[in-house]
Amino acid sequence: MATNDTSETPVYQRDDRAPLPPKNAEVFTTCCDYCIVACGYKVYRWPVGEEFGGPAASDNAIGLDFPRPPLGGGWVSPNQHNVVTVDGKKHNVVVIPDPDATVVNPGGSHSIRGGCIAQKCYNPDTLTRTRLKYPMLRVNGKLERVSWDDAMDLMARVSQHVIRKHGVHSWAMKQYSYEYYENTYALTKLAFRSIKTPAWSPHDQPGPGGDAIGLNDAGIDKFSASYEDWYLADVVFISGTDPFETKTTLYNEWMLKAVNEHQQKHIYALPRATGGVALAERSGGLWLDLYPGTDTVLQLAIQRVILENGWEDVEFLEKWTNNKWETDSGFGQGTRNTPWQWRTTWGKFESKGYKDYRKWVLAQDYAKLDEASRITGVSKEKIRKAAEMLAKPVNGVRPKASFGLEKGNYWSNNFLNSTSFTTLGLLCGAGNRPGQMISRFGGHQRGGRSAGGYPRAESPEKAPGRRKRPIDLDRWTLEGNVRFAWVVGTTWLQAMAGSGELTAAFQRMTRDNPNQITSKDIDRAAETLIARVDSGGMVIVNSDIYPIKPIGTEFADIVLPAATWGEDDFSRANGERRVRLYQGFYDPPGEAKPDWWAVAKFARRMGFEGYDWKDSNDVFEESARFGRGSRTNYHPLVWLAKKKGMRGHDLLKQYGTTGIQGPIRYEDGQLVGTKRLHDTTLKLPTPEGPTVQKKWMYAFKTQTGKANILKSPWELFEDFFDHIKPKGDELWVTNGRVNEVWQSGFDDVERRPYIAQRWPDNFIEIHPDDAAKRGIESGDTVRAWSNRVPVQTGSMLQLEAPDMTFTALKEAGLIKWVSASVNAVAMVTPAIKKGVTFMNFLHKNDPANALVPRVPDPISNRYRFKLGVAHLERTGESRYKNDLYEMTFAPRNIS
Amino acid sequence: MPEIEEKNEKSTPARGCLSRREFLLASGSVTVVMATGCAGLTLPRGAKLRIVEYPRVRVASLADVKPHQPMVFGYPGEGYQFGSFLVDVDDRAAGGVGPNESIVAFNGSCTHMGGPLSGIYRKEYAVMGPCPLHLTTFDARRHGMVVSGHATESLPQVRLEVVGDDIYATGVMGLIYGLNRNDA
Repeated sequence: MATNDTSETPVYQRDDRAPLPPKNAEVFTTCCDYCIVACGYKVYRWPVGEEFGGPAASDNAIGLDFPRPPLGGGWVSPNQHNVVTVDGKKHNVVVIPDPDATVVNPGGSHSIRGGCIAQKCYNPDTLTRTRLKYPMLRVNGKLERVSWDDAMDLMARVSQHVIRKHGVHSWAMKQYSYEYYENTYALTKLAFRSIKTPAWSPHDQPGPGGDAIGLNDAGIDKFSASYEDWYLADVVFISGTDPFETKTTLYNEWMLKAVNEHQQKHIYALPRATGGVALAERSGGLWLDLYPGTDTVLQLAIQRVILENGWEDVEFLEKWTNNKWETDSGFGQGTRNTPWQWRTTWGKFESKGYKDYRKWVLAQDYAKLDEASRITGVSKEKIRKAAEMLAKPVNGVRPKASFGLEKGNYWSNNFLNSTSFTTLGLLCGAGNRPGQMISRFGGHQRGGRSAGGYPRAESPEKAPGRRKRPIDLDRWTLEGNVRFAWVVGTTWLQAMAGSGELTAAFQRMTRDNPNQITSKDIDRAAETLIARVDSGGMVIVNSDIYPIKPIGTEFADIVLPAATWGEDDFSRANGERRVRLYQGFYDPPGEAKPDWWAVAKFARRMGFEGYDWKDSNDVFEESARFGRGSRTNYHPLVWLAKKKGMRGHDLLKQYGTTGIQGPIRYEDGQLVGTKRLHDTTLKLPTPEGPTVQKKWMYAFKTQTGKANILKSPWELFEDFFDHIKPKGDELWVTNGRVNEVWQSGFDDVERRPYIAQRWPDNFIEIHPDDAAKRGIESGDTVRAWSNRVPVQTGSMLQLEAPDMTFTALKEAGLIKWVSASVNAVAMVTPAIKKGVTFMNFLHKNDPANALVPRVPDPISNRYRFKLGVAHLERTGESRYKNDLYEMTFAPRNIS
Repeated sequence: MPEIEEKNEKSTPARGCLSRREFLLASGSVTVVMATGCAGLTLPRGAKLRIVEYPRVRVASLADVKPHQPMVFGYPGEGYQFGSFLVDVDDRAAGGVGPNESIVAFNGSCTHMGGPLSGIYRKEYAVMGPCPLHLTTFDARRHGMVVSGHATESLPQVRLEVVGDDIYATGVMGLIYGLNRNDA
């Protein structure tokens, strides 16, 4: 049965009133902390005990009359109120989507997650009371409070020993890549510039580097589109995501509006139907219901129909894609030492221009409709129809097509899927014009600011060709090479593929090691931990806002409490590169500190220089010059602030929830944002002041400014796919996100009664035919299990190309097969394709990733998270089956 | 009988024309139809749901209620915000009344951005919505819980009671969209 600790499930009590902020309430601007869209929010704060505001506009700080009309913005629901502490005194806060917003979420539109974000604030009267408040040390197996000084002293002593004796490769950092510029800058400054370790990895990948890599290689910035482009398009090809579920306001305010206002059509490629798919199907769109991992074949088949009919955008292709000579000249990217170089060495991907590419596509059997339909499970009619909608001119006019992708695409077959996706877009003339763009929709917000380059030359991994490549930190850890790891704001284990195997390795190297701390005495603790690392064990430090199972609660020797959203001033960009200030407005709990502060304290104790920051603004200003060449360049803002005698954060604050889109430029005495990248309509004046003008602002991101047309040979993936796909009575167990807990599950699903009653447990969607065969009904508990989850082991060196294939890895004895089992509550629904099941991507107790192959894409070193496979069996009945209080089994694709 | 506790008013007293009393409704047995019409709640660990009582208003007769045919009424005040609807979901529902505990009622304004939901009902799933504005759906069998979408509160449920052939509205659970208090 149930996999949550149900004794903790809170009861959702509803109020019939919500306080309005009084006229004199203080107002702060911020953005939602959760998904990429990053709606603008306002915070109203006033001391507890003072009167509430009244319903007349003149009597409340929102300045609006109540009742609020439909779409009126400014309504305050009970979940938007909380009580926080400011300088030790209790204050009311109301956090609402900014009714004055003109960008991102015009008029105060919002998602369920951001709409409830007031509940995120620490309040000891709610379940946020479990926030980490003090540094803790694991003594005799239990975490006990220690001082920051002692915690840092111990970390530094062990770190110094590890670096001296075992080398920097043994000192690892696993961190979020997004939780504000100030923190990511500080963390990467420590890892890359001070310690110089290659043992570093972001929260969602086994190592550093890009994600939708086919876009990069073609010369397309993955966040080149503006939200307006998703409105301007006539048709949008949406791959591996439903923006209704995971880009709520982008969908509601830009795409749904386009459906209603100019009959925009949506084509979805994914195995599961949710709200957006339902709307598409009733508004002239399409659902391409493919099997997980088969996007490459689907995209090639659509391309083939387009090319056979001559619907490709010849004028665009002639002008904006590399021809034979341009492609051969350094692959359009530069000749040496680029991330692309080793892939070109393999020699499988480059084409000699689109005409050569056309010949290649027409020569591939798997791109033919019959074969493509067999592999993908999508009907020939739908494939043909998709090609027509995307590219067939109507009365001589091409449809304006845009292409958005997310993880269902690039986290099932990373390189080939994202490459064939990009090429499809280019054939349709997309990539560099309003309403005709190729981009990621996005996942988490964009708060990464690297303080220096990843020390690739130090990486233990070697790919074919000349280049070292970034580490697979999971394999490096599994092989016992890590002695010390600082884990910041991520679960690490459940978030990675084959998570059971990784968890077992952590258990072995931490708790099962005989050297365990028995005293808070730091000298003795240091001796113990040094003895542990010298005996092959590992020491873990975990910084987070809550106790994280199991990395913090079981494995960490030191746990550090972090301050987060609303507890310090931070800055970050969203999915259209819009940089904004997230103001602090209340005290963090206990001694919790922002991560930049913890880094600085540790670095100083280590004897590193350059960590004397007084506040987060100091870090922000220092970080600016490290992003001068980036898509979110905010250096001109910091430059202008200094010129005006202001702090960088204070100037950014003046831009409120509107912010400014990167790269920020300085023109005619003011800051100017950049709406889209590769924008052929952009006219730039002679650069002024600190402005950095990059060619990719108005052309593609290659040496020539033209895009590369890349091949995506399915046979490079086919052996793995054939091995992994369901056999006998196995089913796909793919995984993904649900709207109500998307990018917020780390703090809402266990602590917000309203959300907890909706998703009290792990779930699995099963097609009615598959369920009936196994005697499973909605509300039953099921076990998904497999004895053949592949785990790649061994060598970090791959000298010859054949080493990279799954077949070669198997023959070399580098694949071991492990068992995994995951529990969930069944939801029987025709909204999932037959033969496929769908599970939430990260339930802490029952991570779907346990069933996912721990064999990264050899071309790009990225996991194939969506390709879990398992047997399914009924184990009983959950209480939700007959209980009408928690969880609903109604389908998510009702139109 | 479900346990009903009167709760002390902590905030400012009602200013509107509506009188208001706050109750905690105990979880009742699923097998007993309560005189108050509030059976069907099976809450974990004996928890109680808070319902605010408003003046009792007759909204329909049992004989007129047909399965899956929503009936619109206003409650607890006047004005479009108070537009509500009652529906027999033809299956046991949380807070359901009638012989099958299947008649429930909800306010008709979407708790996302106020879209008109009255009468938008999918009988196959006993789901209210999708909202014409942004497609949010709510489960009529589970206290108006969000199935999929954006609302920051469940759809406010109107508490019903049956006396003889008469169906009365007697209270509301949750804040109605657009208002800062239901009795304003």
